[in-house]
Amino acid sequence: MDFYLGLIQIIGVHTLLGLSAYCVLLTGQVSLAQAGFFAIGAYVAGMLTVLAQWPLIPALGASAVVAGAVACAVGFPALRVKGLMLVVATVAFGEAVRLFFFNFTYQVQAGNLHLGPHGAEGFRQIRYFPQNGWSTFDVMLFIWVVVALVMAGLWWLDRSRVGTVLRAVGEDELAAQSSGINITAVKVSAMTIGGVIAGIGGGIFAHYTTHIEHAQFGVVLATFAIAYPILGGLSNVFGTLLAVIFIQGFLIEGLRFMGDWRNLLFGGLIVLAMNIRPRGLLDAGAVQALSRLFFSSKERSGA
Amino acid sequence: MDLLDLIDAVQSAADGILFGATYALLGIGFTLIFGVMHKINLSYAAASIGAAYASLLVLAVIKAPAILVFLIAAAAGGLIGGLVYLIGFRFIPLANPLATLMSTVGLLLLIDEIIVHTTAGVPLNYPALFSDVIVRAGPFGLRGDLMFVFALGCVCMVVLLLLLYRTRLGLATRAVSQQPTASKLCGISTTQVNVLTFVITGVVGGIAGAMTGAAIGMLSPLLSLPLTVKGLIVTVIGGLGSIPGAIIAGLIVGGLENVLQYFRGVSERDLYIMLLLFAFLVFRPGGIFAMPTGRD
Repeated sequence: MDFYLGLIQIIGVHTLLGLSAYCVLLTGQVSLAQAGFFAIGAYVAGMLTVLAQWPLIPALGASAVVAGAVACAVGFPALRVKGLMLVVATVAFGEAVRLFFFNFTYQVQAGNLHLGPHGAEGFRQIRYFPQNGWSTFDVMLFIWVVVALVMAGLWWLDRSRVGTVLRAVGEDELAAQSSGINITAVKVSAMTIGGVIAGIGGGIFAHYTTHIEHAQFGVVLATFAIAYPILGGLSNVFGTLLAVIFIQGFLIEGLRFMGDWRNLLFGGLIVLAMNIRPRGLLDAGAVQALSRLFFSSKERSGA
Repeated sequence: MDLLDLIDAVQSAADGILFGATYALLGIGFTLIFGVMHKINLSYAAASIGAAYASLLVLAVIKAPAILVFLIAAAAGGLIGGLVYLIGFRFIPLANPLATLMSTVGLLLLIDEIIVHTTAGVPLNYPALFSDVIVRAGPFGLRGDLMFVFALGCVCMVVLLLLLYRTRLGLATRAVSQQPTASKLCGISTTQVNVLTFVITGVVGGIAGAMTGAAIGMLSPLLSLPLTVKGLIVTVIGGLGSIPGAIIAGLIVGGLENVLQYFRGVSERDLYIMLLLFAFLVFRPGGIFAMPTGRD
């Protein structure tokens, strides 16, 4: 049972990561920096609860603020370029963050334990959940409450004027600019929102794994972050959730019985999925078909 | 810093510049594909390593000389390049850049996993040429295998430049990269040019993969991600679409990396390369040889 609870936790945290990339992708920017923001969130939240004895929620808030601020600061220089240049710039930023934590040591003696991040060995003993008696189920519930809140927030954002502006920039920058949209402001805001979400996700990740190290936040995690929304489709937030379930639940856990062959199938299935559904699993057409299925009577009466 | 330190620093810079030829070749590959298709092929470095691995298959059959292994790596690279185009680009609408980006990520993972699966993840030895030769120049020594790698890289670059600027195929390639629609109207088949570009860059990648193997002495699937990142960095520092830029940037990155490793250690060296890249993106987004106004 704990295995499934753990899987649901992983899906929740990766959904947050995917949603952070989703915000940025809406404006048409491919950012591989999300793993960097995720790492910043993880280290900040971990250090606050372990070294400063903060409760979890304020620590997550702080990690969200720090990651968001860094995202905003990186957004200004990075978003002056686009396309391949932006991909490279954000890869470089993510790698720089990872390498920073690779060389980052700040330890405090507590009894006979050394607490805090320790360079290449990583940051052990982030034991907030066990110390405060949270069961696996409580943790899972907490993660999904956060995921639901973030998804609801993004859903609302998508429906509002802000979402329209984001998508307008994503569809055609020139047209958006000529209709009076400040595209730099829009892109940097999207990047900041993405950073905030990734910061929260990273903070939660640090606490449920209890041990973080630089290698977890490399280019692979960054590609996963953009893989979820692209694979799921950008038409709405549920595409990202669907893709996370597809990748983490089916490709990684569901195919475990195939042993070594699973990894081979993993890349192959992503390529296949992109060939069959280039606009994502849950693209605009699929959304329309689904809504027709569920709300058929209403639509007919409306028509 | 005393004299001995200086000598060591110059020595490591020289070694790094020689090895930088592989970065330069990878950078050229990324630049060419981007130039023709306006798409990023993230699987390129993995495919190069894959080609080098494929060339080791011949050693399992007969005891071939190293030069034959290099040739086979080039051929395998061309083949893999063609396959990458077929699987990752041919059937995906070009108007959707995210889909091809994702499919090349999938291919990168797939190629890596095929390597891990067939070799059980164990690094394999790779043959080198002239590894016992050391050219002495005063206090400095240049390793023969690195010099061979560098020379091979230079030959590749010259051949590539001749191909691009002296043949009809090169003319067609440049035409497609400048104006796809106009070149189509002139009767150039863009699909054909795209396929050929992938095959040619694949050949270059295969040679780069073999050069990496020869310079390090072995091959490991762990090489593909760092090489991808370094190749992309070289592409950007050199300027998108600029082949001379990619060459110079490759040599600079190779040299700097080795010097920084000498002074700051292996764990910090890439951090400074990333900062260099960031500085370039902010102050010279067009790369080394860009016009001052040539902003993206």
